[in-house]
Amino acid sequence: MSLGGFIIKNALRNKRRSFLTVGSVAISLFLFVTLQVAIREMTIPPEDVSASLRIAVRNKISLANPLPARQLPVISRLPGVAAVTPFTFFGGKFKDDESLGFAQFAVDPEKFLQLFGEAKIPADQLEEWKRARDSCIVGKDTAKRYGLKAGDRVTLVGTIYPVDLQLHIAGIYEGTIDDTNMWFHQKYLDEAMKNWGQVGMWWLRAENAEVVPDLLRRINASFANTSAEVRAETERAFQMSFVSMWGNISLLINSICTVVVFTLALVTASTMSMAIRERFRELAVLKALGFRRHQLVACILAESFGLAFTGAVIGIGGAAILFSSGKFAFFPVFELTPRIAALAFLIGGLLGIISMLAPAWSVSRMSVVEGLKTLD
Amino acid sequence: MNTIVSIRHLSKIYGAGETEVRALDDVSLDIETGEFLALMGPSGSGKSTLLHIIAGIDRPTEGECHVQGVDVAKLNESELADWRNQNVGFIFQTFNLIPVLTAAENVELPLLLTTLSASRRGEMVTAALDLVGLSDRAHHLPKQLSGGQEQRVAIARAIVTDPNLIVADEPTGNLDAHSAEAVLEILRALSCEVGKTVIMVTHDPRAASQGTRSLHLEKGRLLAERAVQGAV
Repeated sequence: MSLGGFIIKNALRNKRRSFLTVGSVAISLFLFVTLQVAIREMTIPPEDVSASLRIAVRNKISLANPLPARQLPVISRLPGVAAVTPFTFFGGKFKDDESLGFAQFAVDPEKFLQLFGEAKIPADQLEEWKRARDSCIVGKDTAKRYGLKAGDRVTLVGTIYPVDLQLHIAGIYEGTIDDTNMWFHQKYLDEAMKNWGQVGMWWLRAENAEVVPDLLRRINASFANTSAEVRAETERAFQMSFVSMWGNISLLINSICTVVVFTLALVTASTMSMAIRERFRELAVLKALGFRRHQLVACILAESFGLAFTGAVIGIGGAAILFSSGKFAFFPVFELTPRIAALAFLIGGLLGIISMLAPAWSVSRMSVVEGLKTLD
Repeated sequence: MNTIVSIRHLSKIYGAGETEVRALDDVSLDIETGEFLALMGPSGSGKSTLLHIIAGIDRPTEGECHVQGVDVAKLNESELADWRNQNVGFIFQTFNLIPVLTAAENVELPLLLTTLSASRRGEMVTAALDLVGLSDRAHHLPKQLSGGQEQRVAIARAIVTDPNLIVADEPTGNLDAHSAEAVLEILRALSCEVGKTVIMVTHDPRAASQGTRSLHLEKGRLLAERAVQGAV
């Protein structure tokens, strides 16, 4: 028998308690990791080259207010604009979905790839999309989720706009940060809305990064003091402001994470304290046999750390396996990053150590005689 | 014979003021190597306290306690732990075996603190279990052993490091007459045949009669000393 074997036997002496301790750590860290991944998902800035050139233009009042279509020629003529497209969120329900299963946007197909060049779509499918006004393209994740393929006909039931759209799928795209969206013709939406003359937003691509600051200023100035003042911002700034519309959800999630970790620490500390308290006499006997104070403390810390770390491996490993399986279609990139995994492991390890500090302190201060009396 | 334990004017006081309890009061005593000494006395007489101080798990308030020439009261915590591991074997009334370890693993525990190889430790464990007649129970857990067998495992654990001093705190207190007799026989053999010094606290006059000498304590003071005739 080695000292390591002795520690393992002690850790597993009450199998039900060990299982419950490991389970509570595993579930809590799984929840922690999931929440952290969700925060990252909501706040991750676009990092591709195209994103640095993309500019979002929305109504200055709010994102919910549309913009007049007549702004298009004004924006198009501004120096430094490479391409501009309307960008209207349709928000339709598909099939039997109770809520929005994926996002749909009305755009100008001729300009789409100029703005979102990272999207990969077969040339014939792209041409078909550009040709047919009632066609759309669908991200591969959504196509996979609903079993859609080119040539299928779909119906979107309007929840924001009072129209339903009959569309046929011209192609399937992939390669963007979010391969779940559906894109269709703005003109098709205009027709359905009886040429209402509105768009949701404008998205444009600048010719190069140097012109972006000046372009933002010019766009805003162009519509100052009109009935539809705009706010132009980079894609990253837009995304951050979009996230902020959720309220301070990041604070909320982090608060939940803190409560989860704190509660877990209390539960683990209570369990470990109980486990040690029950063995006070045994620990006193070990002291009598010659175990030094620091050796006993190291043994029980190793025991606690081992249980917590096992829970961490199960919880974090489980999350990694689940998220890599692509089951979380609600988020386009539900990715457990090394930073989040390392943070969760760190918390797991610290939990094991911190929860054992008080019992370890008691054991280190315990006299052999007092310890031997505990079961008498 | 050599003196293995030399105690001079030893006192132990618990508490202070009105709650002060004088567990040992100016005790002086010599114990020779190879003796089987029985410490007797009523509850609260200080016999266990005296045993604990000799074994280095408690410290005196006053006086000196030399064991094998070492003043154990002057050793620090770590030195005392090492000293106990190398020089003292403990036997308790309630056996105090670790329930998740087999008999052999329990016996091996003190050896984990040494630099001995696993194979050498195994040999020593086997020898110790042989000595107490339990080599066939080496892989049994404590709950699979009788009380007498558990105490014999505890004796094997006490002797596995080959200490010169074995302290036993009421080793037969939880045993039936037959098992108690077997345990006392082993302790007597350790003293007479192997030359270990055994100090045993007991309430039982029959157990004490197995020793070479018995001492009586009352209210922390040594009352009388009696050599047991024909015990050796």
